[in-house]
Amino acid sequence: MFVTVTLSLLEGFLGTIKLFALTLLLSLPLGLILSFGSMEKLGVIRYPIRFLIWVIRGTPLMLQLLVIYYGPGIFFGVNIWGGSPSGRFTAALVAFVINYSCYFSEIFRGGIQSIPVGQYEAGQVLGMTKKQIFFKVVLLQVIKRIVPPMSNEIITLVKDTSLARVIAVYEIIWNGQAFIKSSGIIWPLFYTGAFYLIFSGLLTLLFGYIEKKLSYFR
Amino acid sequence: MPILEVKDIHKSFDSEVILKGISFSMDAGESVSIIGSSGSGKTTLLRCLNFLETPDEGTITVQGEQIFDAHAPALKPEEIRERRLHFGLVFQQFNLFPQYTALENVCLAPKITSEKPDIKQIEETGRKLLDQMGLSDRMNNYPHQLSGGQQQRVAIARALALKPDILCFDEPTSALDPELTGEVLKVIRGLAEQKTTMIIVTHEMSFARDVSDKVIFMDGGVIVEQGAPDDVINNPKEERTRQFLAGYSGIRK
Ligand SMILES: Nc1ncnc2c1ncn2[C@@H]1O[C@H](COP(=O)(O)OP(=O)(O)OP(=O)(O)O)[C@@H](O)[C@H]1O
Ligand SMILES: [Mg+2]
Repeated sequence: MFVTVTLSLLEGFLGTIKLFALTLLLSLPLGLILSFGSMEKLGVIRYPIRFLIWVIRGTPLMLQLLVIYYGPGIFFGVNIWGGSPSGRFTAALVAFVINYSCYFSEIFRGGIQSIPVGQYEAGQVLGMTKKQIFFKVVLLQVIKRIVPPMSNEIITLVKDTSLARVIAVYEIIWNGQAFIKSSGIIWPLFYTGAFYLIFSGLLTLLFGYIEKKLSYFR
Repeated sequence: MPILEVKDIHKSFDSEVILKGISFSMDAGESVSIIGSSGSGKTTLLRCLNFLETPDEGTITVQGEQIFDAHAPALKPEEIRERRLHFGLVFQQFNLFPQYTALENVCLAPKITSEKPDIKQIEETGRKLLDQMGLSDRMNNYPHQLSGGQQQRVAIARALALKPDILCFDEPTSALDPELTGEVLKVIRGLAEQKTTMIIVTHEMSFARDVSDKVIFMDGGVIVEQGAPDDVINNPKEERTRQFLAGYSGIRK
């Protein structure tokens, strides 16, 4: 039984990891774009983006999942996601990417705005272009500053993936819970915790390593 | 022909007029010191020369080439980049790049801004400059491993690496502990002896008097008095200059 449960949970965990990895892959660049938008001088760009960030950060992710999955069907009469598992997965991914882009964008904005203006001015008087200043001078300093908040947020993401089951996306908790019905046992559900712990433990080690790598400067 | 000719520079922030018509000129190889009380617009003037601020009025001419005219159409970013390289700027707060070593700080801009960088040549020049700053044993240290005085000397080498026609200093020793100002002033003095063209904003009156060929006293956004250091600092003509200098004891030897 233990082996069967472990295999089933591993399979569910694959879904968890897939959602986690794709969310990360898409929301990091999108978050960067949003952060630039939220710092834009032009109000027509800045205000809508700040509004979006406010809405997304001000409402529960679970609600956002439901709105994104059921919203189109309710408001426009078409379920654009379809009822298949892959359709539900896509809907969950979209909700996660929107949610995490907004959180990441705030972290990026904080990091970028914490760089003293003197760094930019030093680059300017040395004849560097805006792009060179960002990539050669500012970026690594920003990365160093955002590693701790990013590592928090990313570990939260690992655990947040479990919310996807409100729209029946298969992930590890879903699989763990299935054993209650099929075999009348509850321990597989508790056992899922071990998978989360191991994975977030690995991430903690990774971020610790990055932090250490970047400790050569202040 | 003067190396630098500044004519009638005006600059306001919001509705507050900070520079009210600054004009001066200097020859190649000269060091000019700018003195004046806090808020008189000295930093703003240096920032205008380095294209960190855009004057509302006036012209800047370097070696006969007018590089800025407030009435001309706005300059494109690449024009600004090219023209500001006539000047170098050493900041009060050094502004070194923390993730690069002393040598990397000096070499970064020459490496990434030239079309076909000769890396070996650039590093050679960088080492020579740091050596000249008395930092031959600190080339591979990161800024946080250096004292303020050492950091400022790296910043001077970094500015020199781009071979500016005119090197500007904005109170280069004001952020330093008193016991560290000497090493930085010594380096600047050395540059003056080598006939580096420099504009130095400073509160170090005896240094200004000893090192510079000309002293400019600014107050309230105008140049009140300019001339030979002995005249301006030891025998000021204007009452405002006298009042300002009275705040500095022990400079009249
Ligand atoms: N970006 C800005 N926006 C608004 N006001 C500014 C700005 N930069 C400078 N000022 C104002 O301009 C005035 C002159 O400033 P500046 O820094 O040029 O003086 P300074 O002579 O360098 O003084 P200090 O000796 O204290 O360095 C000050 O009153 C300052 O508040
Ligand atoms: Mg100043």
